[in-house]
Amino acid sequence: MIYTSLPGDSAPGGFKASHPLLAFVIAAALALAPSFAAAHGATPQKVVEAIDIVAPPEKVWAVVGDFADVSWRPEIERAEAQGGNVPETATRRLYYKRGGSLDERLVQYDGAAMSLRYIIERADINVLPVGNLSATLTVRGLATGGSRVEWKSRFYRAFPGGNPPEQFTDEVAIDAVTRIFKAGLASLKAKLEQP
Amino acid sequence: MKTSLARARETGRALARWTAFGVGLCLLFSPVRAEEAFVPNQGGGDLAIVDLAAMTVAARVPLGGKPAGVAVAPDGARVYVTSPEGGFISVIDAKARRLERRIEAPGLPFGVAVSPDGRKIYVADMNGRDLTEIDPESGARRKADIGAVPSGVALTPDGASIVVSARDDDALVLLDAAALTKRATIAVGRHPFGLAIDAAGQRAYCANVESNDLSVVDLKAQKLVATLKVGLRPYGVALANGRVFVANQYDETVSVFDVGSLAPLAVIKVGEYPESVAASRDGARVYVTIWFSNELWAMDAKSLEILGKVETGEGPRAFGAFVRRTD
Repeated sequence: MIYTSLPGDSAPGGFKASHPLLAFVIAAALALAPSFAAAHGATPQKVVEAIDIVAPPEKVWAVVGDFADVSWRPEIERAEAQGGNVPETATRRLYYKRGGSLDERLVQYDGAAMSLRYIIERADINVLPVGNLSATLTVRGLATGGSRVEWKSRFYRAFPGGNPPEQFTDEVAIDAVTRIFKAGLASLKAKLEQP
Repeated sequence: MKTSLARARETGRALARWTAFGVGLCLLFSPVRAEEAFVPNQGGGDLAIVDLAAMTVAARVPLGGKPAGVAVAPDGARVYVTSPEGGFISVIDAKARRLERRIEAPGLPFGVAVSPDGRKIYVADMNGRDLTEIDPESGARRKADIGAVPSGVALTPDGASIVVSARDDDALVLLDAAALTKRATIAVGRHPFGLAIDAAGQRAYCANVESNDLSVVDLKAQKLVATLKVGLRPYGVALANGRVFVANQYDETVSVFDVGSLAPLAVIKVGEYPESVAASRDGARVYVTIWFSNELWAMDAKSLEILGKVETGEGPRAFGAFVRRTD
């Protein structure tokens, strides 16, 4: 049964089915109707996070602008990446430390503007309870000589129909994305500011 | 020596001339007729009514249920707004700018359209397979099976045909409006969503979200006549000034083509996540909702210049025909 939480599982939003039978019903429904998870009549959500880093923008972009480099993402164990930084060609499979993986594709890349956009192509709602996520990462220089990194996203909750089960609501999806963005930016800052 | 009366008369005439000149100037420089945009803010749960001449929000109507789809009745008296998460359609008295009542709708009601005579509304259930026809006066209903994820809905100007995008079937479904039966299923690009039908009722244009193109369908021949490359994740489509406009969500652009030659004319940079597009009734302007920054942008349909912006509220969707003439 795919929604039973494992001991020590720290899934964003906590995939704890309130009742084993409910978990089974949801799992069965989603497994039987894979297109269900893509039928988004629900409400798209926004998350915007930003952090200021005491490092020149070029140095920050050297990390953020390398689609294959996920060393600053604390929730990721490793990535299999190919295609460099070529939009539409570059892809990466992210393996999560707590298990599971997602596939992402780079869809836009502007080195001069220090901005990129990627999408989740193969979602796994056990890993991240969202649907149709796209996100942009942008670095810009500050008057202080430092940088501001902005991470913005549009996505839907994992359950596209009305009255979502409690582990697939808008709030759970927003919470999961917010946590990843905040933790990622904090880790990026720590990595780039270390002497 | 002029009498004060003569002087007053002269002043009066001058005043009249200048007033006439002023009115003329106004007509000359504000070609926009009195029109309004009805923009559902999905995140905010309300409807923004935008005065398009002033580009200001004239009124807000709380609706609830995460409103997304919209259809202005051809006579402009009523506006119908779908609330997919509430499972209802809000009936707006457009002139009074107030919510008249709610009509229950099945599943996740999203795309909506009104018949040219204003007597029927058509609503697509994104969570099911049906299009439901509702007579807003009597409440009488009929259903038609469309296919996987019915999304965009539009009628030909004569009211004889209905076109629905069956998103996950990669097809446009053509229905006979009187019988509410399927006449044809036309294969288009991957995941057709927003659509528009020309004033002659000859062609339908649909934006294909996953294949990043625009399908042009001949409604009489019931076949695909062209596929035009657009930007990433195209959503809304509108026709104006002999051109077709497509909003590309991920590219933050609007693609513009000539409807005669189908030649690409321009790609205009707009804001983040442009969603829906609608034209002014005279075709002089095109309006685009910008989802991420909560705005409605006005574009000149000829020069393609951005003419103005207005903040609408949280998460504007406005999927459908959202412009209303007020005069």
